[in-house]
Amino acid sequence: MISAKKRNRLGYVVFFTLLIVMPSAFAGHEQHQPMAKSKKNGREINCQQVAIRCAKTVTSAFSPNGDLWRLWSQNKGLYYQISTDNGGHFSITKQVPLVDEKISSRNENRPKIAFDNEQGVYLSWAMPRKRKYTADIRFSYSNDYGKSFSSPITVNDDDLLTGHSFNEMIVNEQGDVSIVWLDGRLKQGKKSAQGSAIFMATANMKNSADTIAKQTFINKEVVNGTCVCCRLAVDYNRQGNLAILWRHIYGDNIREFAITTLNEQSTPYQVSYDHWQINGCPHQGGALSIDANNRYHLVWFNQGDKGKGIFYANSDNAGKTSTTPLAVGEQLAQAAHPHMNENNGIVDIVWTQFTGTQHQLWHQRSINAGKSFAAATIITTAASGADRPFVLQWQGKSYVSWQRFQQGHWFTQL
Amino acid sequence: MNKKISIYILTLLLLVISYISNAKPLTLHSEPFTQAVFEQIKKQYQGKKWLTLLWSVDCPPCMKELALIQALQQQKKHLAVVVINVDTHENSEQQREEILQHFELSQQTHLFFRDGFEDQSRYLIDPQWYGELPRSYFIDEDGAFHGKSGLVSKLLLDKWLLASK
Repeated sequence: MISAKKRNRLGYVVFFTLLIVMPSAFAGHEQHQPMAKSKKNGREINCQQVAIRCAKTVTSAFSPNGDLWRLWSQNKGLYYQISTDNGGHFSITKQVPLVDEKISSRNENRPKIAFDNEQGVYLSWAMPRKRKYTADIRFSYSNDYGKSFSSPITVNDDDLLTGHSFNEMIVNEQGDVSIVWLDGRLKQGKKSAQGSAIFMATANMKNSADTIAKQTFINKEVVNGTCVCCRLAVDYNRQGNLAILWRHIYGDNIREFAITTLNEQSTPYQVSYDHWQINGCPHQGGALSIDANNRYHLVWFNQGDKGKGIFYANSDNAGKTSTTPLAVGEQLAQAAHPHMNENNGIVDIVWTQFTGTQHQLWHQRSINAGKSFAAATIITTAASGADRPFVLQWQGKSYVSWQRFQQGHWFTQL
Repeated sequence: MNKKISIYILTLLLLVISYISNAKPLTLHSEPFTQAVFEQIKKQYQGKKWLTLLWSVDCPPCMKELALIQALQQQKKHLAVVVINVDTHENSEQQREEILQHFELSQQTHLFFRDGFEDQSRYLIDPQWYGELPRSYFIDEDGAFHGKSGLVSKLLLDKWLLASK
């Protein structure tokens, strides 16, 4: 028999044991909560609230009426703001209705926005699914300039739990919307398969005005054997054919850039020869801009035995042969993530450099269609993280968009 | 009264037992990457061969390299490996823990990059690393870092990690 006193003592022991054990159990659960707050310079920023400074990526685009839209995702929602003065001021934040799902938004994988000439607003993004590296390409459309949006649909038509991500989207003057993405369907069940494939789907919302049925987007394979984690770049050429630039896998994991123009060739052209052998994720895609003379302007980044850093080249035969690559930025200063746009003979290249504490946005311009470039200049800096920069154009002027995490979105004319 | 106390004790005991039995067998310890922490680790391995593996939850070849480490720890209990996760996006903490539990890597030292300090952390490790993954550093007895991008071969890992004492 245990005496009442001993029993009480035992009760206390158990009680205090619980007091010690239980909080650690709760603490363990707490660790699994998504990171909501970030501390920067002693200041707590609550990123549970929707705010553009909390966005890891921002996508900007001009609509045909000159409005600048910026788009980002946060907490399973897709948000946008509109500026009528080229980024000087932005409207209140609006949420895209009916979108309540996970949205890929990091590094080169991020939501996209495009417009047509008749009040159409097009959105696409990748929605991660349950298994690792699986996602679907999603699409929503507004025919009333954002007053309402269609329920999101899945663009990839394979019904497979596999990778579909790194979507790029472009809308031409006829209102044809083309979405290209990296797709894992071809390597399903094939252990030896290397890389991803590029798939493409095209539709015209004016043809199927009210109902966006899944079959609207018919998928077709563009190329197989691409890198799995670098963005694609797209542009229309003078003939109205779509060109795509991507990082391809050649031989034993040699990751070089390749280009193809749809309807014009069956075999893609290799455009970089830097010999970067890596069985991994470079997280660095290229940029493509085609001018009125059908000159293809290209930038890319490599860390190969034969070429390290950012390079610019152009081609007058759709990438079959290119100019000698021009090194851009200071390779030893972490020059990376180039983007570029051609605008009426002016070629603007932007990229980031990093000093160890400060992110820098750099710019270099050519006023003779890429023949020669003026010296590089630094545009601005960021203190706590930087997104990839992008060049945009509107009415003959060029602008740069650069998201600076927790500091704010930078938008300025170049 | 005595009966009531007995029930009270029994209930508490059951609670404790149920908590202990539900707890994960091995809790994974990971801490934020800082210069101080990294310097301390370098000191700890001074004069020895060791490996630092940087990985991300959305990098398929990283999983292959984590699996190689998992296989190696069957052969040698105390591997000189420091595993650093570079993710700071929404939900990355949970994904990171799940993956490390999956590969049963609780024996290794785990660090992770802090939100807003990703590039600083990367630069501290190596100013000439551009973020490509997986990234492995083979650190020799003299403390020199030999970086390699992409999945490393099993042979190389074996040679580096199994030979050292």
